[in-house]
Amino acid sequence: MSQYAAELCTLLVEDNFGELCARIFSTLQRHERLSFPRLKFHSGLTDRQLRHGLVAMIQQHLIYHFTSFQDGITYYEANPQAAYYLVRSGKILQLVEDRLGEYAARVMEFIIYLGHTSVRQLESLPELKTIEGEEPELPNGVTHEGDDENLEGAEEEGREVRQTNGAENEDHYLQTNGDHIPEAKPAPFHATLKALASHGYILEVKEAHFQSPDDRLLDAKREVSGKSDIKTLKGKKQEESINVEAQKLVSKRTKSDLSEKYLVNGLPRGAKRKFGSAHGPKDDSHASHNRIIGDHADDKDNEWSDDEDGFDNIPMDARLIVRVNYSKLDVALRNVRFLQLAEQDAPPATAEVYETFLRRTEYTTTHCRDSVEIPREGEENPLYSNPVEVMKIVQDLDPELDLSGAFGPVSPPKSVNHRGKRPLENGINGDADDESDDEGDSNSQFKRMNQVNQHLSLLSQAPHKLITPSRNDGVKWVVDFRSLACKLRHLELERMIESRYGDVALRVVRVLHAKGKLDEKRLGEISLLPIKDLRQTLASMQKGGFVDLQEVPKDSQRQPSKTIYLWYYDPDRVCSSILEDTYRAMSRTLQRIKFEREKRKDFLEKTERSDVKGNEEHYLTEQELALLQRWKDIEALLLTEVSRLDDMVAVFRDY
Amino acid sequence: MAAAESRVAKLASKLYDACADNHDPDTLLYQHDLIDLGVLPSDDIALLLQCTQSLVDQKLFRLHQGQGRIGWKLIPREDAEKLQSLNADEALVYNVIHSTGRSGVWVRAIQQRTNLHKSILDRALKSLDNRNYIKSIHNVKYPSRRMYMLSGLVPYEDVSGGAWFTDGVLDANFINSLAGFIEYTVSRKSWYEVPATDRGRSAKRVKTATGKAEVNGEPPTKTYLPYPSNYKGYPTVKAITDAVNSSGITPVQLFEDRIMQLLDMLCFDKKLVALDNGQCYKSVKNPEAIKAAQSRKPPVEGVEPEPLLGRNGMTESPCGPCPNFKLCSPGAAISPETCEYFDPWIEQVLGF
Repeated sequence: MSQYAAELCTLLVEDNFGELCARIFSTLQRHERLSFPRLKFHSGLTDRQLRHGLVAMIQQHLIYHFTSFQDGITYYEANPQAAYYLVRSGKILQLVEDRLGEYAARVMEFIIYLGHTSVRQLESLPELKTIEGEEPELPNGVTHEGDDENLEGAEEEGREVRQTNGAENEDHYLQTNGDHIPEAKPAPFHATLKALASHGYILEVKEAHFQSPDDRLLDAKREVSGKSDIKTLKGKKQEESINVEAQKLVSKRTKSDLSEKYLVNGLPRGAKRKFGSAHGPKDDSHASHNRIIGDHADDKDNEWSDDEDGFDNIPMDARLIVRVNYSKLDVALRNVRFLQLAEQDAPPATAEVYETFLRRTEYTTTHCRDSVEIPREGEENPLYSNPVEVMKIVQDLDPELDLSGAFGPVSPPKSVNHRGKRPLENGINGDADDESDDEGDSNSQFKRMNQVNQHLSLLSQAPHKLITPSRNDGVKWVVDFRSLACKLRHLELERMIESRYGDVALRVVRVLHAKGKLDEKRLGEISLLPIKDLRQTLASMQKGGFVDLQEVPKDSQRQPSKTIYLWYYDPDRVCSSILEDTYRAMSRTLQRIKFEREKRKDFLEKTERSDVKGNEEHYLTEQELALLQRWKDIEALLLTEVSRLDDMVAVFRDY
Repeated sequence: MAAAESRVAKLASKLYDACADNHDPDTLLYQHDLIDLGVLPSDDIALLLQCTQSLVDQKLFRLHQGQGRIGWKLIPREDAEKLQSLNADEALVYNVIHSTGRSGVWVRAIQQRTNLHKSILDRALKSLDNRNYIKSIHNVKYPSRRMYMLSGLVPYEDVSGGAWFTDGVLDANFINSLAGFIEYTVSRKSWYEVPATDRGRSAKRVKTATGKAEVNGEPPTKTYLPYPSNYKGYPTVKAITDAVNSSGITPVQLFEDRIMQLLDMLCFDKKLVALDNGQCYKSVKNPEAIKAAQSRKPPVEGVEPEPLLGRNGMTESPCGPCPNFKLCSPGAAISPETCEYFDPWIEQVLGF
């Protein structure tokens, strides 16, 4: 854990849970593992304060605790991962809302808010009883004691300001949602929770989750080594079998996947729903189409009631304790990034096919990568998604999606006058036989498979190679997660290089990355740049830490004139330093928010007064309302910036 | 005596003509080659020596020493006239420069070989240069050296740096315009342009099926579609080379290896992608987008051009480009509280 990451985590804890928690958290980060008396000594807090804070933070999984059987002492340890994920909660809610609807997002919000919770408790929350209930009032941001909707709410707001696309989507969604459900009715709580569970977005909390990974493993080892059959082994063999058995035990104890239980034919519940919402905003013609064709629209309405008839009537076990499954959500968020790559170049229909494809892979992918550490480039094992058959994608795709007309003809077009004479031959449909009768043939499964295959092959092409044909046969495709994650990393680095040093630098870096170490002259020859520009660029990039210079002396005297100087670019090294910078920038931005809030403290306290809050229009003057609006804008902007920086952290660290 | 001399002169001129007729101007002629011509009445070595000496004096023969023997090379008559007009020093310098051929020679090297005083050498070089017998060239490897070569010759590539160099410096304009041309040419072959007649008919479909740039569907914008994956029409290196050479934008003929170099550069710029191990190339952007990007070129001062790769958190945040980012911490001289970049940034983004 680096200094800046630790600083950021403390800030996040403070922002969400107040100073008391932040103090305990930072003490634990500084001194690592502490028993209660030691913790009391280092933090300078009273027993009562400490117990109060620890309970709250254990509830949020911010602190691991472990009671040793040998001495009976409980040790506490900070959980920086959980603290960091506080910043991603807004993004997670957005994702859940896009996929499963507004109500699911609300359920998710409460799960995040409560840290972990039993199904019974969730069910009893009045806010989750009805579907129409108003959004919970968002506080204006002065109080920061224990309310994390503050962060999320503002973040979502911020996203609307910035990414107009996303906002549009959302608006549209809400609108359609409103159309379908005009009056309040009992919320499909269990169905929604099952949908969340089957997507893998939530997991079952086990006791082992409260222990740090190291404790978990040590404890398991201790238990395993007590077994009689292991005791009979000796030396290395014993050690090995202890390790293996302990790993097994750990994975058994942390086995918390809920998704398998609720998958129906390999598809999570509620997954189909995405057709209605995902397609609607993108293309109006589709939406209107849906309405015209009666049965399709009905389908959509009945989606939930269908479920309720059968399986979903059985409520989930009320004693089940659930929490958010961050590693699965990282997979989903990473897929969103992949999709963005596809959307850059590929036509929308192709992107749609890709989205459907990724959705299929998401159900079977539980985590982004195997290793815990950030892997070094080129040294990690490839990791592929489960192969997905084209047929499955055809089934999942919106049957109304127009797949034809996205490609040119296979043979290069003839000369201009020829085309002028016979325009029909070069129609925009992929194949000549595609041309014949669009409408009549569109339901032919085989043809549709062909079309999907064409879209997939377009995606598999350079430069991104977003998918790869499975080695066994041509009808299955896989995603090469590691190389794509690597591409995302490079893209982020290149964006920074472009903005700092210009496109010349970009070319130089790419040459260095492709060719390895090069001297100045050869570098100039390949990149076709004047030596003067090249030197300037290299020097400024070296200063910024993006490229490095290696000296290779020809003799033992190490004279500069007899030394070869080689430039190189080490993405791993640059990545890790940028990651630190990103943590740092996030901390500074959060500190700036604190400062901005401090500047307006008196005014904001007024708006937070219990009589003013909720009746701002009534009690505040126009000027004050404008001031309040501006404060909200600034906070949203800064929080959005933090969340954008978090996108980068995700790429460098988590994907 | 005079009669003998005129006889020698006549024989010599006959010998010269015979040589010119029977041998390539560049071959080195030895004694037996000359005798074999049969111009001389007998195998009179002394006479041969007199003839060659007279030809050398007239600058029609140039003396060479090779493999321990003496040999001669022909000098064309027009060159000989040139040479005859030179004085001794100039001729000396001229010969040195001539001997280095297409690689050119450094002034200091001439000085060493001729042993002339610097001022005399300079005068000789100047006079030769004025008469347009020699020219000064730039060597890419040693840009600061003054080098000369005969005016009629073209320098070697390792001297001139190849096609990309003009006067010894990398010609960035030439490279960029050529790269732009290649990108556009490749792009024309990598994207299918929907014929105008089709466009009207299938306007609705096109809307859903094409990239964002063309969605507006106004008449002047052209619509482009990607080709399916089994399309074989992506241009090869040879096709691109031919297109470049026939376009007339290069003053010199460019060969495939040069074009390859340029294509590699374009690949590093992520403008093109190589397919089938560099057999053929495909452009990333469609012709319309390339045209737009190229016409947008002239950078306006003060206005930051939109980055091609898009932005990310670090490039947007005021911390990203901050020069004192590493020094910044709460409570220090540079701190998030006293930061002077945040306020202007907030103003700019919120548009107040």
